[in-house]
Amino acid sequence: MSNQFIYLSILVASVGTYFCRAFGVFSARNISTDSPIFNWIKCVSIGVISAVIARIILFPVGILSEATSMSRIICTLIALVIYFSFKKNVILAVSVSAISFALINHFI
Amino acid sequence: MFSSQSFKDGVKHAIGVPALGLGSSMFAFGAFLHSAGFDIFQSFLSTFFTFALPGQFVMAETILAGGTLLNVFLAVLLTNGRLYPMTVNITPIIRNNNIPKWKQYLSAHFIAVTSWFNMFAVHREINQEDKFDYFVGLGGFLWANSVLCTVAGYLFSNIVSHEILVGMVFINPMYFLIMTVSNLKEKKLICSILAGAILSILLNDLFPGWSVLIAGVTAGTAGYFLFKEEVINE
Repeated sequence: MSNQFIYLSILVASVGTYFCRAFGVFSARNISTDSPIFNWIKCVSIGVISAVIARIILFPVGILSEATSMSRIICTLIALVIYFSFKKNVILAVSVSAISFALINHFI
Repeated sequence: MFSSQSFKDGVKHAIGVPALGLGSSMFAFGAFLHSAGFDIFQSFLSTFFTFALPGQFVMAETILAGGTLLNVFLAVLLTNGRLYPMTVNITPIIRNNNIPKWKQYLSAHFIAVTSWFNMFAVHREINQEDKFDYFVGLGGFLWANSVLCTVAGYLFSNIVSHEILVGMVFINPMYFLIMTVSNLKEKKLICSILAGAILSILLNDLFPGWSVLIAGVTAGTAGYFLFKEEVINE
């Protein structure tokens, strides 16, 4: 793994990522917020994000893959239960879930 | 005309939970790059130019697995393909006739899940002519914070325990999850969210690289057409 290869990899990763964004701006040039395609794209966007979250929780890459699947699932449920039990408090739900996750992976 | 007040309001919006959620994961990513043998400048450049965490992880893991540049490009393109519908969706909301094309293309770099969700949550409360500057403040701050957090994670990875790093990297998906379920208001979105999650899991073994995009497009299309006639009470 040479330094030059890493720099080139960062470059191609950045080009690939920016292409998705730039092509999105280009594609949106004739779309208005009250058009049917806008509402369809909104559904697709949230469907994709939901798919990403499910994949991160059940089939993660990187550091999260070192934690057990059970700990990820339990702490996801903790976040949801706290969010709906405590007046939709985002900070409380996210922080308790993350702290629980760190503790479970420390002690198990 | 640039509205500094809208820009500042966007920055204020980003400070707090959005910056903490994304920043903590970027911190863990910086620590991961340190352990993977990247140098600090490479870590800095990765977030500065890419600013899309799942794709950044995929890039690093593809390099570590001995992949070629083409492997890196395709893996990142597939992973970050989710940014395409998000950009198509947010662009008509934030633009106005006074915003030149080059600014729209430049600000697209700030589009990520966190900035998308947060802009969506408030855009109806902002005047149309102020939305672009608000988004630049919001997304720009999240981007700058992410770059700093990546570098901080790289520098302080030896001080922070591995368990804490694992906990930090879990903050962002939980934040995404909570922001997603906060959208459980319209039937078409509820259907898109549930079907997207279920299909992503079911398709993961069949289409490992494509499962997220196939699941998202299928779920969103089903949600839209099944509840097309739904009346929304704003």
